[in-house]
Amino acid sequence: MATRIDTHPHPVAAHAEATGLVAWLTTVDHKRIGILYGVTAFVFLLVGGLEALLIRLQLALPHQRIVGAEFYNALFTMHGTTMIFLAVMPLNAMFFNYMIPLMIGARDVAFPRLNAFSYWVYLSGGIFINLSFLVGTPPDGGWFGYANLTTRPFSPGPSIDFWVIGLQVLGVSSVVASVNFAVTIMNMRAPGMTLMRMPLFVWMSLIVQFLVVLAFPIITVGLIFLMMDRFFGTHFFDVAAGADLHLWQHVFWAFGHPEVYILILPAFGIVSEVIPTFARKPLFGAPVMIYSGILIAFLGFGVWSHHMFASGMGPVADAAFSIATMLIAIPTGIKIFNWLATLWGGRIHVTTAFRFAAGILGVFTIGGLSGVMHASPPVDLQQTDSYFVVAHMHYVLIGGTLFGIFAGLYYWWPKMTGRLLDERLGRINFWTMFLGFNVAFFPQHFLGALGMPRRIYTYPADAGWTLWNFVSTAGAFVLGLGVALFLVNAALTMRRGARAAGDPWDGRTLEWRTSSPPPVHDFDQIPPVYSRDTFWREKYGDRHGRKPVPRPPMPEPHGIHLPAPSFWPIVAAVGILAAAVGALTHLALVVAGAAVTVVAIFAFALEHHGNPAHAHQVGELAVDHRKLAMWTFLGSECFFFGTLIATYLAYKGRNVVGPHPHEILNLPLTTLSTFDLLMSSLLMVLALAAAQRGDRTQTRLWLAGTVLFGVIFLGFQAWEFTEFVHEGLTLRTNLFGSTFFTLTGFHGGHVAIGVTWLTTLLILDLRGRLTVADALKVEVAGLYWHFVDIVWIAIFTLVYLIP
Amino acid sequence: MDRDLHPRVPDPVVAEAEAHSGGHAGVAIYVKVAVILTVITALEFAVLYIRALTPIVVPLLLVMSAGKFALVVLFFMHLRYDSRVLSLVFVGPLLIAIGIVVALTTLTGAFLVYGR
Repeated sequence: MATRIDTHPHPVAAHAEATGLVAWLTTVDHKRIGILYGVTAFVFLLVGGLEALLIRLQLALPHQRIVGAEFYNALFTMHGTTMIFLAVMPLNAMFFNYMIPLMIGARDVAFPRLNAFSYWVYLSGGIFINLSFLVGTPPDGGWFGYANLTTRPFSPGPSIDFWVIGLQVLGVSSVVASVNFAVTIMNMRAPGMTLMRMPLFVWMSLIVQFLVVLAFPIITVGLIFLMMDRFFGTHFFDVAAGADLHLWQHVFWAFGHPEVYILILPAFGIVSEVIPTFARKPLFGAPVMIYSGILIAFLGFGVWSHHMFASGMGPVADAAFSIATMLIAIPTGIKIFNWLATLWGGRIHVTTAFRFAAGILGVFTIGGLSGVMHASPPVDLQQTDSYFVVAHMHYVLIGGTLFGIFAGLYYWWPKMTGRLLDERLGRINFWTMFLGFNVAFFPQHFLGALGMPRRIYTYPADAGWTLWNFVSTAGAFVLGLGVALFLVNAALTMRRGARAAGDPWDGRTLEWRTSSPPPVHDFDQIPPVYSRDTFWREKYGDRHGRKPVPRPPMPEPHGIHLPAPSFWPIVAAVGILAAAVGALTHLALVVAGAAVTVVAIFAFALEHHGNPAHAHQVGELAVDHRKLAMWTFLGSECFFFGTLIATYLAYKGRNVVGPHPHEILNLPLTTLSTFDLLMSSLLMVLALAAAQRGDRTQTRLWLAGTVLFGVIFLGFQAWEFTEFVHEGLTLRTNLFGSTFFTLTGFHGGHVAIGVTWLTTLLILDLRGRLTVADALKVEVAGLYWHFVDIVWIAIFTLVYLIP
Repeated sequence: MDRDLHPRVPDPVVAEAEAHSGGHAGVAIYVKVAVILTVITALEFAVLYIRALTPIVVPLLLVMSAGKFALVVLFFMHLRYDSRVLSLVFVGPLLIAIGIVVALTTLTGAFLVYGR
């Protein structure tokens, strides 16, 4: 049951949130989940930092023997993987979780239990990848995992298996979380908060959610290919079978470059909050800042091959990606200039949060400019795989992202904990990190220019690299000391820091309108929004000093409904972890883990079926959260199937041995199965129409028909697969077998999920538990079903029909 | 509810009426769409056997496939009748995904827009 709190007269102070281990394990409160993300991610930040310090120790002097070559490979692989997927992204997720609902005036996220699920799956993925250290086989193929170096013949043993499976687990967490936050931001804004009134951090976060939703399926498909090559003997990266190794690089970087913006845009959002607050001015050119963020994200999908200039793509591709990369500097530059313009004429209050934000203006710009240098193929050819690139990426990811995260930590820490961090210690913290960072990474530009390659575990004494390596190592330890100082500051102030008021910085946005820390329900009354800096305007009025006419609070006749705690998110995540471990140990564990996950998903889905508090989820866009989430997810699925289809097309005609498609594909049979699937879509939409009318007999009839037609389609597919195997075509036969079975197999898997989903609805209906109020559930399932249908329309044409 | 503050939230009375009608096409439209889908599928199969169409068979198949795709999305998935936001969150990614498919196939040499 949902927790119900009456709103009158002063509801909520008396309702403290439950404490204790169980309360944290079952929490669905966005603030607690934010804290869980923050603590976990900071631990991984320390792990990744320790790996970095070991790397720097090894390179401090020539001919060091602190670690061997193989462990050095593992160190840089796990350092990159940990920092990107386990530290920086989740630290950003901490802010998404804690701050977004507060900044948009919501009481939680759209799907609180899915939010908990995302966290527990993230934790599972992080534990799984790091288990590799315990068994002595950490991944060692680089965070980019270039195939075919990462295929079984060149990387035997389980090290890459940990990486390839762990990243898929983390991908599930990221995509689910991002769909959730996209819906939350679009659909749960407080009254009056139009899109253009959203705070910049929320805007940048929204853009990031879409980047995650669209970019992660691309790498997921790449990881699936690699996993299938390693586990099932397919040929996606087998040159002898006709494969093209560029495919991995394209797939990886088509994800990898948007990933850069996934990491940096939240920091841009934080800076856009911190600078106006401490300059006591509105953000200069806020709409242009928003459009710039959108443009960065859009262009971010068209620049990936600048990571591959050295791979020999040819002049046309080089020119296209070079121009796109240079273009992206324009919206980025706009942001820098607008922050400067915001500072201009401001009454600046220099705090630690401000220092970190202002620091970004300097050091991120250095990283941005060296990035523009890489946009030029001839220059890139000189710099690629040298320490110049290492310097560039760290100026972006530390000087931009990590400094942004620390700005956010110092800015929002009082809101999250109710205590102020010590400013004097904070000042030392900033300058230590700033100094250490620049001493560590600026010399790496010189090392790159002097020709020092990346990823070498040692170097000769006469190479001329010793001095700058030593300086770089010293800087890295100073940077590490800076991070430790933050921990000291946090530990000291958590016990005896000054108590923070609700609005300690004289803030501008809604999160400062509630207490520090906020009550469990965030706001006693959902605040109306009058402008982008709405809280500032409430306090001080507009530039003429005119305050908005206070609007009466929204009536909440049914009280405040907070989502109830649930065990199922953590149970589902444990199932996924067990299945992942099973993939490397015993098939029985895979089956057991999958079974636990499936049971948990069903229990999760049915936990609140029939609960009236969950029936009405229409938000600010006049669309139900669930429907908006499904459409957002289907956008993600376009990328998933798009990558599978692109791979099929890329490898078409590259078979070294038969059978070939024209020898084996059965067109009449597939035309029939296509007709069957199309007609299932008709039955599905008839079922929905009946459900909306409340006609239970017809709902049942058409749902059963859809399920039947779905099963028939699966029967066609099973028959086709069996025939092909009899004719000598399997996953392992040739490239056609690998690409065909993977593409159509994943489609078939989607059909099977759809059949299961619709069967569940049918059973609910037969038991009298599907009412007219549940029509939306039929509609959402129907959207998924129709999507499976349209994917097949594309597959039918591209695989079967086109000669 | 303050209607000025919630400009896009439908009026409860209108929303209730739309909920009952579904706010979507009627059964007759669905059946017509299904018939058109069937005819196009049959045509897709048939054009492969018409020798005169060989030079244009690939674009012809792509157009027919796109037509079927659009019919299902617009009518069965109700995008024609639903909020424009839903169109945005689906069609935007779809177009970018198509762009990436074309780029990937081009860059790997399967579909050469230009020479290497």
